[in-house]
Amino acid sequence: MHFEKALNATIEALPYMLGGVGWTAIILIGALLVGFVLGVPLACCQVYGRPALSRAVGLYVWLFRGVPILVQLFLFYFGLLPLVGIDSALAAGVIVLGFTSASYQSQIVRGSIQSLSAGQLKAARALGMSDFTAIKSIILPQALRLSIPGWSNEFSILLKDSALLMVISVPEIMARTRSVAGRTHEPVAMALFAAILYFILTYVGIQILRWIERKVRIKGYSQEGSM
Amino acid sequence: MAKKFMALVASVMVSLMLISGAIASDKVVVNGIDFGFPPFGFVDKDGKPAGFDVEAMNWIAKEMGFTVKHQPTDWDGIIPALNAGKIDCIASGMSATAERAKIVNFAIPYYSVTQVMVVRGDEKMDLAAFMKSGRKIGVQRGTNTFKLLTELKAAGANIEIVQYDSTDLAMQDLPIGRIDASGMDSSIAYEVMKGQSYKLGGTFDAAPENYAYAVRKADTELLETLNMGLKKLMADPYWEELKNKWEIH
Repeated sequence: MHFEKALNATIEALPYMLGGVGWTAIILIGALLVGFVLGVPLACCQVYGRPALSRAVGLYVWLFRGVPILVQLFLFYFGLLPLVGIDSALAAGVIVLGFTSASYQSQIVRGSIQSLSAGQLKAARALGMSDFTAIKSIILPQALRLSIPGWSNEFSILLKDSALLMVISVPEIMARTRSVAGRTHEPVAMALFAAILYFILTYVGIQILRWIERKVRIKGYSQEGSM
Repeated sequence: MAKKFMALVASVMVSLMLISGAIASDKVVVNGIDFGFPPFGFVDKDGKPAGFDVEAMNWIAKEMGFTVKHQPTDWDGIIPALNAGKIDCIASGMSATAERAKIVNFAIPYYSVTQVMVVRGDEKMDLAAFMKSGRKIGVQRGTNTFKLLTELKAAGANIEIVQYDSTDLAMQDLPIGRIDASGMDSSIAYEVMKGQSYKLGGTFDAAPENYAYAVRKADTELLETLNMGLKKLMADPYWEELKNKWEIH
């Protein structure tokens, strides 16, 4: 019976596939962090920076959003990163996904900043605050909270993009799916298995982000149009 | 602001380099193996590289006095990985084609494959009749089998070629009738037919091709070492033992 063979292959592959979940989680957390650490300053530079700086950020965003991640992985892993001494496939994957995510995350934060009333910055200046302090203590605390729904989108997209790291041989879920499919000749059963794992990861991640959103909510403060 | 930003970028770069743990490898030969190409090279259920080529390389390494590390590598990127220095050789059921020989060097051949057609167990038609029938034959795109079928079709064979991402996917469609036959290397055919109701529908009239280990063009020393090791292995009784163990016909 074919179903039984497929089921046995799936059960046998379970520990190995769960190991892949660990790799996927590391990639995802790494890329989200890199994207956040780069994306927030990028957003600030784009909104508040001098025209040249703002245009430079625009160029960065345009480049990383415009080139498919698959192409970037080949360029960075085989071409650019070896030149600066980075050899590891995991690091290359986190850099590529992180830089791309930074371009998307910067646009999420930029949108949130621009949805705040411009008078807030003027009022802060009138109180004698420097622009840097005002952005740090008044603008960003509001903008970052407003960005969380956008982030849960970014989280689920990045999770699925992490499967592309298979082409540079990072042993994440999709690479392991292919390897088990090749060994057991059960490609459809293994694809179904991978789909279930990705679904669970997406669900858990989005629940966590929702929890954070509720946790950091300021009572009585809400932005019209936010989800 | 710009200075702070640059410092941030720099610190992210540094921490990533730490994650990567830039290991400088000393005299370890890294062998790239295909994720899933049993019985030649694959990743076993514990995630360890296994198969005929893996064990053959282990024997050669021991005999020739070097350390070998098997690195599972995606097939699509395996030659770029070799030429970028991520791996040092490919011992993973690779066909030594003239096209590949332009960008890598091949060691002496150790196995030869033919192109075959696999059909359902109850199929009545033989290869010659099939090639005039207008029926569908599945094949993995980009393979030598695909090239052969295209040539046969251009020469007048009446078949419909259906391309797949892998032979395994073609084999999903064979029993349900989306295709009537599946073309592939003989080495894979024996593997996919194990425990299934398929049979060989015939062998194509084409020159057999050879499997060989690949190394970088510049690595003449490694090529010599591998050639010498292979010759020793093929003269050793262990060679037959290995072939029997992995059921390599």
